[in-house]
Amino acid sequence: MKILLDLFERLHPLVGSGGKLKTLKPLVEATENFFFAPSAVTVDSPHVRDALDLKRFMVLVVVGLAPCLAAAVHFFGLRVLAMILVSYAVGGTIEVLFAMVRKEEINEGFLVTGLIFPLTLPPALPLWVVGVGVAIGVVLGKELFGGTGRNLFNPALVGRCFLAIGYPALMAGSWLAAGEGLTGRLLQYVDASTVNAVSSATPLGAAKHGLYAGVGDLFWGNVSGSAGETSAIAIIAGGILLVVTRVANWRTVAGVLGSFALLNAVLHHAAPQTFAPVGWNLCAGGLLFGALFMATDPVTSPVTNGGKWVYAVIIGVVTLLIRSMTGYVEGVMFAILLGNISAPLADEIVVRLRLRRLAHEG
Amino acid sequence: MKFRGGYNLRVKGRPSAAVEVLPEPDTLYLPLWSRRFKFAEVCVTEGERVKAGRVLARDPANFNVPLLAPRGGIVRLKAVEKHVVLENVVVAPEEPLSEADRLEHAPDKKVRNGKARHKLLVLGAWQFFSDAHTGALPDPSGQPKAVIVSTLRFEPFLARGDVQIAKRLVNFTRGLEHVQSLLEYQPIYLVLPQVKSDLAERIREAIRGYAWVNVVHVPARYPFDNPALLARHLKLKHDPKEPVWAVNADGVLAADRALTLSRPCTVRLISLGGPAVRGPKHLKTVPGYPLRKILDGRLIDPAVRVLNGGGLTDDPFAQDQLGLGAECAGITVLPELAGREFLGFMRPGADRRSYSACFLSALLPLAPLRIDTAMRGERRACVSCGFCEEVCPAGIMPHLIHKYLYRDGLEEAEAARVGLCIGCGLCSFVCPSKIELRRQMLDAQVKIRELQAEEVHS
Repeated sequence: MKILLDLFERLHPLVGSGGKLKTLKPLVEATENFFFAPSAVTVDSPHVRDALDLKRFMVLVVVGLAPCLAAAVHFFGLRVLAMILVSYAVGGTIEVLFAMVRKEEINEGFLVTGLIFPLTLPPALPLWVVGVGVAIGVVLGKELFGGTGRNLFNPALVGRCFLAIGYPALMAGSWLAAGEGLTGRLLQYVDASTVNAVSSATPLGAAKHGLYAGVGDLFWGNVSGSAGETSAIAIIAGGILLVVTRVANWRTVAGVLGSFALLNAVLHHAAPQTFAPVGWNLCAGGLLFGALFMATDPVTSPVTNGGKWVYAVIIGVVTLLIRSMTGYVEGVMFAILLGNISAPLADEIVVRLRLRRLAHEG
Repeated sequence: MKFRGGYNLRVKGRPSAAVEVLPEPDTLYLPLWSRRFKFAEVCVTEGERVKAGRVLARDPANFNVPLLAPRGGIVRLKAVEKHVVLENVVVAPEEPLSEADRLEHAPDKKVRNGKARHKLLVLGAWQFFSDAHTGALPDPSGQPKAVIVSTLRFEPFLARGDVQIAKRLVNFTRGLEHVQSLLEYQPIYLVLPQVKSDLAERIREAIRGYAWVNVVHVPARYPFDNPALLARHLKLKHDPKEPVWAVNADGVLAADRALTLSRPCTVRLISLGGPAVRGPKHLKTVPGYPLRKILDGRLIDPAVRVLNGGGLTDDPFAQDQLGLGAECAGITVLPELAGREFLGFMRPGADRRSYSACFLSALLPLAPLRIDTAMRGERRACVSCGFCEEVCPAGIMPHLIHKYLYRDGLEEAEAARVGLCIGCGLCSFVCPSKIELRRQMLDAQVKIRELQAEEVHS
């Protein structure tokens, strides 16, 4: 470790102001602070600070995604790892370039975006499409707004939305039947060339034709679908970690799932043909994944508690309506993007009410 | 207002209830400034031999608050810059009872109990009082709206009120009577913790007959001992003409000493705490006591930061300060960041203090942990996690104010009630993006006050 630290020490003058490699400063700094805790000390009071920083915050999301990742590899094969690699490489490069041009630090937010994005994609999607999607997501969804913390939309969903609209045929044709048995596709690398495995309808797609997959399969995850969204149990396991560590706000999760379930229960009673049973609908598609890992992104969800409830209910309700009443098979993506765009408004209303109450205090 | 937010930082180094009497020093270095005061008017001459209790200097901007000689000795004015040095220190003799005591009538007859007020001021007890809303020294001849007497100090690690009162309960209750004698009908609020404690029970017993004391119970959580917050809780609005006085346990004891014994109040019971201190405890000492002698042999770490007060709101001692200041309530010693952890952010973190539950330490919420001066992260943009709003005891939204101030929206920040910020520092402490929220909000308050002053002038 000492050798590595010394190496960074020797790099400091080179990347400092006036140094030969000063354009590389963000990259060197980020690498150094990845390996070694930052050397900064407090200058102003409070002279002690909380141990939590954004790195830890984001790494916990990555840890929370680990069960989903494991399930994805188990059911859809090693190709999922290749998709993740492409996503990290392309998105990471863009992140670094933007940081160098802006002369700002490289932000940890990409640790999450780079992993979450491929998990929302059909598992047999060509790798170049993954690269295009992540590039669009990071540039349009995040960097143009000023980077992590200033973005309006969830960057991963912006990328996925672009792919869904720009390459509908490719997306629809890249579903993969989940691997069967104890090892699943653990040791396989299946892509579009393996024709017989591809183009298996997702449970939500099949449901449009009246074919319902078993809830047990949905819960366990051996169904077709986006790489990380099929296994309810893996998502719940990771999600619990996020909620318990308070990285994900419970209000958002409860609001999305609660409003979805409640409305679904009522509508299923009224029109059982159009609306699937609550338990089935909760486990199917990307609802759980979206509610636990994407809607809970603190940056793109409202910051006030009241706003969070409004935002969560919008997502829950819109997901159900799109899923069951439109030509689209799944509505989570559009619902969360819609939630993102209404988040500032929801915040504004809550903030105004709060400030009105505060006006006469003290 | 109900109490909301707040957070108890469980950090190693809480001072025990033990009180150590520091040995008599040979030389005292009395700084000519403290947090609120500047003792600009020096009242002694070079080489003069003074007795204990003599006025060494005054602050003309603050009702002539005196800096008293805690011991007798020979005055050196030029030996150390911005200090009055007392050499060849001796304990006895004391100044004969002060002039104030011999006064037949109060200087200002219109003021209720003017003689007692005058005594409080010249004997050094008045400087323990503050305006609950602004923290400034109130006018000693003014009439308050109410008096808040707090026995609590939750900030790590200031001298605890319970330690200060423990052996002087009689003096404390007598002091309360003296404070009451200054008032006409205004209430005194005595603030006690909302937990069962022996001392609180004894205090309740002792003040049973005092109809003029209203006991207020507050949750034992930082910073619910803050006078501005308590005033808001008691619905006492800020009015410069009728301020709310706030005083701590040590101030009541000082008032008792000044008015019962007519003796100068120069002894201080301060705390010495923090993770870098061996055997943190309370110290009985006097202002001017050499800082070096206080810390000698008591530090665990080679590199430390010594704070003139608590760990969340106060700053390090000035480089050139040699002795304990007149207003010091405690010394907090923090270890400086020692080394850089390899892959620190991936470790389980059973030894890390965090408001969030992102470390293993969340499973042991009550264990006191070691903490140092590390920033523990890099500066980032706000990610709207909302932690600052959650801990804020004043009920404002630091993240929102930060965003307003980021775009120079001073008026918006004012509308978002940045003025209610009490500077407790919890928002800066919990922020995962390491934004200096406390500094930004306090600076904004100063700017707003300046602009308001300009408006009045023009």
